[in-house]
Amino acid sequence: MYDYLIFALKRFLQLLAVVFAGISAAFLVSHLSPISPVETIIGRVAGQSTYSPGAINSLRETLTEIFGLNVPLHEQYFNFLGRFVVGDLGPSLIAFPTPAMQLVMLALPWTVGLLTLSTIFTWLVGNILGGLAGYYQNSRLLKAFGVVAIGVQPIPYYIVAFLMVIIFGFLWPVLPISGGFAMNVRPSWSPEFVLSVLRHAILPATSLVIVGLGTWFLGMRALVSNIVTEDYVTYAELAGVKRDRIVGSYVIRNALVPQLTALAMALGGIFSGTVITEQVFAYPGLGSLLVRAVNGGDSAVVLAVSCIAVVAVASAIFLIDMIHPLLDPRIKAE
Amino acid sequence: MRKLKALLASAVLASMAVGGIATGQEGEAAAPPITEFPREQTLIINNPEQPATNPPMFNMWVAGNGAAWSNGLHQLALDTLWFIDPDAGLDGALYNQLAAGPWEYNEDFTEMTVRLREGILWSDGEEFTADDVVFTVETQMATPGMVWSAPFSENVESVEAVDDYTVHFTLKQPNSRFHALFSVRWNAAWIMPEHIFSEVEDVTAFDFNPPVSLGPYTLHSFDPNGYWYIWEKREDWDKTAIAQWGEPGPQYVIYRSIPSTDNRLIEMVNGNLDMIHDLTPEGMFSLVQQSETSRGWFPGFPYAHPDPTLPMVIFNHQNEMFQDKRVRWALALMLDARAISMASYRGAATLSAIAIPPTGTHPRDYHGPLQDWLIDYELDTGSRTIKPYDPTIGLQVADMVRPQFGDEVPTDEEAIRTAFGYGWWKQDIEAANELLEAAGFTKQGNQWMTPDGQPFAFTLNTFTEGVINRMGTIIAQQWSQQGIQVTAEADPQIYASSLPLGNYAAATAWSIETWGGDPDLSFFLDSWHSDYLAEPGERQTARNWQRWQDPRLDEIIEEVRQTEFTDPRNLELGHEFVKLMVDEMPIIPVMSFNVFSAYDTRYWTGFPTAEENPYANIVTNWANSKYILTQLKPTQQQ
Repeated sequence: MYDYLIFALKRFLQLLAVVFAGISAAFLVSHLSPISPVETIIGRVAGQSTYSPGAINSLRETLTEIFGLNVPLHEQYFNFLGRFVVGDLGPSLIAFPTPAMQLVMLALPWTVGLLTLSTIFTWLVGNILGGLAGYYQNSRLLKAFGVVAIGVQPIPYYIVAFLMVIIFGFLWPVLPISGGFAMNVRPSWSPEFVLSVLRHAILPATSLVIVGLGTWFLGMRALVSNIVTEDYVTYAELAGVKRDRIVGSYVIRNALVPQLTALAMALGGIFSGTVITEQVFAYPGLGSLLVRAVNGGDSAVVLAVSCIAVVAVASAIFLIDMIHPLLDPRIKAE
Repeated sequence: MRKLKALLASAVLASMAVGGIATGQEGEAAAPPITEFPREQTLIINNPEQPATNPPMFNMWVAGNGAAWSNGLHQLALDTLWFIDPDAGLDGALYNQLAAGPWEYNEDFTEMTVRLREGILWSDGEEFTADDVVFTVETQMATPGMVWSAPFSENVESVEAVDDYTVHFTLKQPNSRFHALFSVRWNAAWIMPEHIFSEVEDVTAFDFNPPVSLGPYTLHSFDPNGYWYIWEKREDWDKTAIAQWGEPGPQYVIYRSIPSTDNRLIEMVNGNLDMIHDLTPEGMFSLVQQSETSRGWFPGFPYAHPDPTLPMVIFNHQNEMFQDKRVRWALALMLDARAISMASYRGAATLSAIAIPPTGTHPRDYHGPLQDWLIDYELDTGSRTIKPYDPTIGLQVADMVRPQFGDEVPTDEEAIRTAFGYGWWKQDIEAANELLEAAGFTKQGNQWMTPDGQPFAFTLNTFTEGVINRMGTIIAQQWSQQGIQVTAEADPQIYASSLPLGNYAAATAWSIETWGGDPDLSFFLDSWHSDYLAEPGERQTARNWQRWQDPRLDEIIEEVRQTEFTDPRNLELGHEFVKLMVDEMPIIPVMSFNVFSAYDTRYWTGFPTAEENPYANIVTNWANSKYILTQLKPTQQQ
């Protein structure tokens, strides 16, 4: 137990270092953007109106001062670190003075909801089918699934998404192709709202599942195909261990270790959102917010999203590191 | 048992996700659980903006607070003194909206008096008065960083309410166009409700949610994610300024943000959209094929509505390469406008050889009257004199698209000119070569060399997508074919930094936007005065991106400043400007910015049309589009 605590402490310190390096890099990158939020706003305010050049210059000076952009970069960095510790990432520059985190928290549930469910579903089904296909290599059904998976795998996501829109929105218009819920319901715990959310999530979620399934399936099948040739599997078969037990406890369990790590990475990665899904299906989420923030030069929102993603990925890896010794005795021994 | 557990776990996960969403969408739980919008009473409009960044923010007077503008807020709920429509208007392009009549200046344009309409009510029953106008100006002057703070502070010495319905401005310096701050082209300084904002401690942090409306609609509900906003007609709509044009038809108006153009098309075909702001050319062609009830501004090809904006080739005049007008003219004569029209708009472009967008009243004021002058215009190439203008280019483009679009393409010459433009410079490579040689350029093989022996090569910055990107690409190709190494570069920061900082040699964008419904050119021209010219490397303020200066231009601008807006002399000055632009060719005008706006007549009729009743701009994000609602009638389909 003492060894495990030392191991956990080391990993925790590593986590802090990764988070610090990650958010510092995110700060630097977001502040090196050539896009000026002030110019973006001026473009919007003055672009379609009779705004004299003198007035534009005056507005530029005012906004630069209000946004605190007249402060040196290192000073902005230390201010940011101070605020980050208390969870305040400052005001958004494309929705000033609304806190950047407020905008992020509005979009976050949609992204987490859509991607967590579709990622876990894809991971589960892909790994189970991949594991079975790797073990029962003569099954025609699983072979056929393998062919389909290989066929679908290289299709770019946006093609799949557009196909879904065209098929279910145009040729056979039975599912909504835009929005997170219908305009005639209101967010609440009512059955109408819940059903509306689920109905609107079908197409985006299915498109993600179709594209994601093949990756997990093929990866797991390859892993299992190697494991079934291991001596201990052959020995178990010769010893008359039941096949279900061999598949579940000997083969898939061993193959799961790298897949679990990949799942953690995938779950951590969902905090960056899915820009294409959101654009194609007009679906709310972090991806579109991030794109708007990047295009608007809003370093605060970019940082807020990046920080969440950095913390999420690092934390997921930390958790997996903590679980690994429980799953794999070899890691514990080390 | 395991299956049951898995099922339960899945259900918990799903409900957590939905629950997170439900609880994340603050402020909406109080709304009725189910509301219906009868289709025959509901107009659904595409809002071209991305979903609102800050959906519950309606305080449009604060710069950069993330409030959506064209979600119905500035079309249906806000109002101001005058509107100038880019098209014909219901009774002329100039609307006296909250003002009872036109602006009144004193002799030297240092004072302006406005008389307001009486009996106009805010949606909470408060009367609109001169106090609202005074408050709007004084508050923004006292609060830097609001949208109109800077222009008010720059212009206004004082503002006072003479009585409840009369406002008097005293200006810091003469300004014959001060009223333009309150004249909507796309938007303008909207009037603030004094009785609401005067109670607010910090106007810049106030969300104005729900907005108290001065227009005929009030906010019904909105998507907490900013994808849609629903507006409902006020019971007292007749107490708003728009009532003079009739009762708005729809009981409900929904503005939907749909980023993907494909989805917009599908939603209209499915009957879930009545008006689309913009499609791609191909999207428009597809829509009219798929839906019998959908159409564009023109009944057939080219469908699109020409905006009062002029896409062009902009030369950076602080770059040595482009300081000789013979070089600029040579580059213009190397271009084939027909190919540009086909490549950018699939032929659906409205070409303009002169520096005025061919839209609104401009063809009547400029393009038509200047035809003879253009036809007779002579250019000295250094070797001979040529007449470079070809008045038949528009007709030629119409002939080129006729095999594909057949009867959709107009045959009447006047209709063709309205849709495809009058004429353009004929491609004349020989003359272009003579001009370059006269300017000291030499040709080695197929490569033009500058007078100092360097290859004549430059980058052409252009948009990252869309018709302007296509236009930039084909122009770069045409110049490259003639021996000039031009690379088209997709530039995501073209307006944000490249043009303002002068970090470009040439670009396809625009520096000319006009009222459209009035020949006055001050909207863009005032900023072209040499007083505003930035030094190389410094930020050029909008809109003289070409950094061009000419004493003759300054003279025109200075006279415009001293000429009253409605004075016919403005048109003469406009003609002088056009002729100077042709002589000097500081930019190469190409065409209007045609917007593939579409509308569907399944549920509503009465939309403006190019051929019969061009009473308003159909581009849905313009505030002027509110006048359309007064003309709409339901078709009774459900």
